[in-house]
Amino acid sequence: MRIIRNLSLLSLAAGLALVAPALAQQFDWQQAKGTQLRVLMNKHPWQGAIEPHLKAFEALTGIKLVAEVYPEDQFRAKVLVELTSGSSSIDVFMSMPAQEGLKYMRAGWLQPLDEMLKSPALTAPDYNWTDFLEKTREAMVIEGKLVGVPIQVENTSLMYRKDVFQKYNVKVPTTLDELEAAAKALNGKVMTDDGQTGYGIVARGKRAAATSQFAAYLHADGSTWLGPNREPVFNNEDGIRALELYGRLLRLYGPPGSENNHWYEASSIFSQGKAAMYTDANSLFPVIEDAQKSKVVGKVGYALFPKGPKGQYGSTVAAWGLAMPKSSKNQKAAWLFMQWATAKDQVMAVQSEKGVLGARESVWRDPKGSAKVPPDLKESLTVGSKVGTPLWNPPVVAVAECRDAIGAAIVTSIQGGDVKAAANKAATDVKRIMAETEKK
Amino acid sequence: MPVFTLPAVAVVAVLMVFPVAFTLYMSVHSWYASSLTSPEFVGLANFRRAFVDDERFRNALWLTIYFTVLATALQLVLGVAVALLLNRPFRGKGVMRAIFLLPMVATPVAIALVWMMMYNPTLGVMNYLVGLVGLGPYNWVSNAAIVIPALAVVDTWEWTPLITLITLAGLATLPVEPYESAQIDGASTPQMFRHITLPLLRPTIVVAVLFRAIDCLKTFDIIYVMTQGGPGFASETLNVYTFQVGLFYFHIGYASSLLVILFALVLGVSLLLIKVRRGSW
Repeated sequence: MRIIRNLSLLSLAAGLALVAPALAQQFDWQQAKGTQLRVLMNKHPWQGAIEPHLKAFEALTGIKLVAEVYPEDQFRAKVLVELTSGSSSIDVFMSMPAQEGLKYMRAGWLQPLDEMLKSPALTAPDYNWTDFLEKTREAMVIEGKLVGVPIQVENTSLMYRKDVFQKYNVKVPTTLDELEAAAKALNGKVMTDDGQTGYGIVARGKRAAATSQFAAYLHADGSTWLGPNREPVFNNEDGIRALELYGRLLRLYGPPGSENNHWYEASSIFSQGKAAMYTDANSLFPVIEDAQKSKVVGKVGYALFPKGPKGQYGSTVAAWGLAMPKSSKNQKAAWLFMQWATAKDQVMAVQSEKGVLGARESVWRDPKGSAKVPPDLKESLTVGSKVGTPLWNPPVVAVAECRDAIGAAIVTSIQGGDVKAAANKAATDVKRIMAETEKK
Repeated sequence: MPVFTLPAVAVVAVLMVFPVAFTLYMSVHSWYASSLTSPEFVGLANFRRAFVDDERFRNALWLTIYFTVLATALQLVLGVAVALLLNRPFRGKGVMRAIFLLPMVATPVAIALVWMMMYNPTLGVMNYLVGLVGLGPYNWVSNAAIVIPALAVVDTWEWTPLITLITLAGLATLPVEPYESAQIDGASTPQMFRHITLPLLRPTIVVAVLFRAIDCLKTFDIIYVMTQGGPGFASETLNVYTFQVGLFYFHIGYASSLLVILFALVLGVSLLLIKVRRGSW
């Protein structure tokens, strides 16, 4: 009996050995063998997680990788300066298309990837593009062209203190109205074990930084940045209601001095147990669940961003991707790298080893893939990345400048000023900036 | 012989003359760092835009002047007062002087971070301190109405010693005779200060004010670290705004013209103060 079982195992192994080369023959990973690739990366959890695996790519493809890593500000400046010079030797770089995509696209720097993705010679049959959560794919499209492949995703979501909500018997908000009611009900209540009170809600209030999180309120309330003819519409009735809500929440139920809070300050307040709710990117969960620094480890729920009055979803879908400059002389090898880095095995590896929030649904469905992530975060992220909006930034060329203009209106709202006038002024400013920077 | 000065000339040309000339050149052009088109000559349009259309610029210009006048005045009064105190003979004078000069030695970014914590509305010590005299609590650098004074206090904490140092040097060179004759004539101490010390010290004080005013006009580090120009644009001085326009919006042409304006402002203030020093004004 034992012999027979061993025999069958042996034949199974032999069979596999026969099948494996047959599969490999279908796709030629070695087709760009001997090429050297220059990859520019931003210091980021994904970059840290993929780094130990890069050797495997070199072994698989025979392509040599030269990876350079810089802190975010220097990284963005470096890519911009190199691409501006026109003599860049970058083959692949990390990019958030919603941040710089339109600017780079209009400048003619981005290589559209649609053809490569469709080509059976260049793309492995098991790559399965539709496995990526719907809106993360959309986030990689600029002016109708695919310009990147997603490596990490985050949504503006509602983080809340499960213990506090339970203690004061408040329902976890699923609509914006309930959000405000909960903030009001919990503001000033005791939130820590040593009897300290906290605020109802905390969120970013610092000019440009607040804009990307306010985007969730804006879209949930049924407005958006630009209309069909690329004219500002965030100052319409729905937009102003969203602006007023954001300001009112932080002014009445938030910590004093919200106007200067970036995610760092806001997440500190929340992780010190000083607030019942926090709306920001769910990728901040490692900060909140860090036993060394946080006082609320294990007490936080990660919910989908509340819906608006007409049932709209607000959850934003911000995705980092890998992009390829048009000027790259090694496009085939570059595409092989982009494809390998976002193939299921690698996404599974970075997500299961380091808790990087990947964009593949099949990896999320696999228990191994979601082991390092709180279960409700998995739930809200996979749903949010399907129903949310990739427009966490206004879709313009001069993103930084427009964010400053819109951020000024957010600050005015937090300070209790004339929101309507501020929103109209921001719209005028955005219109002017677009006219200046987007002339053809 | 001229060969020996060549390296120095080359360094000055590359590191100073070229950037200044290029800034002047860019200031009359419109150019974004990411555009493929070459700079477009626009004449004085950038300057027109700054003074006529750009509310943020006018706000920045006003804040720069507000911050400079407030901080320099505070430092002048405190600095001279402390110098007069430290100029009197007392035990441990050397140690006191050394301690008093310490803030100037510290790194501005570190100072800014420490003050950030002190100004924190919920955890900071400042609200506790003003609470002792029945004031506050304030939001300090998060409150648009008081953010500039709050920043001026930080600058004052750091740079008052510079005025003290320069004034002390001036005091050391004062002649004794005028005081002796004044005493004989029966002048009081305030009278002597008003009519002898101040006039004699004037050139020294003007130098100190000149240093501080120029530095305040181009203050960047503490403002950028503490507020990045916020809340809203309530502490966005010219330098902070220019940094934003140049290195975040990459509007190199416009940023250059803003720098030219800042340069003109600094130059103007310097000339004015030098005139005051010569007493011809």
